[in-house]
Amino acid sequence: MTDAELDAGGAGGPAADGVPPGAEEPAAEEPAAGPPGAGPPGAEEPRPRRRWLEIRESIPSWQAWLLGLLPIVALLGLWWLVTGSGPAEERVMSPTILPSPLEVAQSLPSLWFERALTRNVAVSFLRVLYGFLVGVAVAFPLGVLMGSFTKVGAAFNPVAVFGAYLPIPALVPLTLSLLGTGEKQKIGFLALAFVIYLLPLVVAAVDAVDEVYLKTAYTLGASRWQSVHHVLLGIAWRDIYQALRLGFGIGWSYILLAEMVDIGRGVGGLILNSQRRGPREHIYLVLLVIVALAFVTDKVWALVGRKLFHYREAR
Amino acid sequence: MSSLVSGDGERPPVVELVGVEKTFAAGTPKAFTALKDVTFCVDDKPDVGEFIAIIGPSGCGKSTILNLIQGFPDVYPPTAGEVRVRGRRVTGPGRDRGMIFQRYSSFPNRTVLRNVTFGLELNARELGLGRAEREERAMELIRRVGLDGHEHKYPHQLSGGQQQRVAIARTLVMRPRIILMDEPFSALDEPTRYEMQKLITGLWHEIEATVFIVTHSIAEAVFLGDRAWLMAANPGRIVREFESIIPPTHDADPLLVQETQAFKDAVGEVAHAFHEVEAGRF
Repeated sequence: MTDAELDAGGAGGPAADGVPPGAEEPAAEEPAAGPPGAGPPGAEEPRPRRRWLEIRESIPSWQAWLLGLLPIVALLGLWWLVTGSGPAEERVMSPTILPSPLEVAQSLPSLWFERALTRNVAVSFLRVLYGFLVGVAVAFPLGVLMGSFTKVGAAFNPVAVFGAYLPIPALVPLTLSLLGTGEKQKIGFLALAFVIYLLPLVVAAVDAVDEVYLKTAYTLGASRWQSVHHVLLGIAWRDIYQALRLGFGIGWSYILLAEMVDIGRGVGGLILNSQRRGPREHIYLVLLVIVALAFVTDKVWALVGRKLFHYREAR
Repeated sequence: MSSLVSGDGERPPVVELVGVEKTFAAGTPKAFTALKDVTFCVDDKPDVGEFIAIIGPSGCGKSTILNLIQGFPDVYPPTAGEVRVRGRRVTGPGRDRGMIFQRYSSFPNRTVLRNVTFGLELNARELGLGRAEREERAMELIRRVGLDGHEHKYPHQLSGGQQQRVAIARTLVMRPRIILMDEPFSALDEPTRYEMQKLITGLWHEIEATVFIVTHSIAEAVFLGDRAWLMAANPGRIVREFESIIPPTHDADPLLVQETQAFKDAVGEVAHAFHEVEAGRF
């Protein structure tokens, strides 16, 4: 009925419909099945405009997954395109510069068996873990004290700011000359980098606890240490945990910085070795393995976090 | 102000301010005198608490008075004068003085029950209370403020009114002799505010504590207060006192009471004085 109504009334006034001749509009308009020019343009019920890109729209998760897959597939496709699988001479890029996806996959056995992938990954992982533990052992108590007590904060804040502007890669040669090339240097460098990264985040988490909680605790008879423990730390824990999680993820960048100075154990050494002696394929594989491992570790952090902080506000 | 005479010696006044001045950022160009020469004395009447409402234009130092009675670090010490609670000079906050804030202050990492037991936990050794006793006391108050069934929820699952109920239960469970409320219902919508006023009047005669409530609502001050103090700004001081403006309204329905002519007349009187003060005539 509305169609008839509008056909009759809207014949003279196409301007009534405010649909702009947007490029994305016509593609979605399958009901405009009539022969072109038969109906007056824009002579329909104004319907909700559905554009392809909407600000902050809610999309189903399958769509999010699909959209997320697109760039990856495109990248792989591009990779395949420039490398192909034909003989080396026919490729856009020479295999010595960029091997094809298939060649990378085929090099997995040699990386696994001849270059002891798992052992090297384990070595790197443990280095990250130890460096992280040492870093947290310093950054956590210091950060909580700095965030809680103004004077401690004032004392250490300049050092923290200095650290924040310190170029982390420059610490590699520094720790090398101070601690040698062994485990001590790797873990020492990681611990230092973790402290520099985590300290401001722990302080900020404690700082972010609203004054009103402290005041409430005071009126309930909380002592100074009870206030730090139950109020500041109790509420900041969630943000601190989040900072630790982010920090652990960044640890993989730090470990490569520390390991890529010599061909030793660990994933950094693997990459360096593959770069110098080949095959190049191993570099790509090691990178993929690192990303996969970091991803899984992060999911474990997230899972534990959800168990620990199930009270989280809907934010 | 009310009686300036200190208590009879046996029972020192509940709260006494003598010539209190508070200047923030004193000695800097940003110096701001929030309170000047505030003197009052609230006597300790046996077994009766009093409900004192403090109203006034914004920036007149209403909240500063409460903060000084509490002795919070951001206002302590007063620039001049003395704040005494039950005869002792206030040097810092304590559990003898409960406080309810405008902003929701339920600890986000604790359930309703653990919010209410928090004060008891902090003082468990002093109070000699075991876990079961603490929870029993807390549950009693959770029931009294109408939150039973919600005791295992977290604050983010509660409405604004429910959060303030938690704050009330958490304060009352400590059995404080003084309760300070800083615009406790200002953030709530109208129907919830009436509910809370009803709750407060219902609980009120059981508490036997002296309550100070800062509010920007004249009707709320008239309804809840046994007496109301009107303050002026720049510098903040108490300029008028209204005593027994309307008959006590324990257990009354705020909506019904606030529709009566007597109530409207009382509000009118206070509102008139309020506008005079705002215009600088007092």
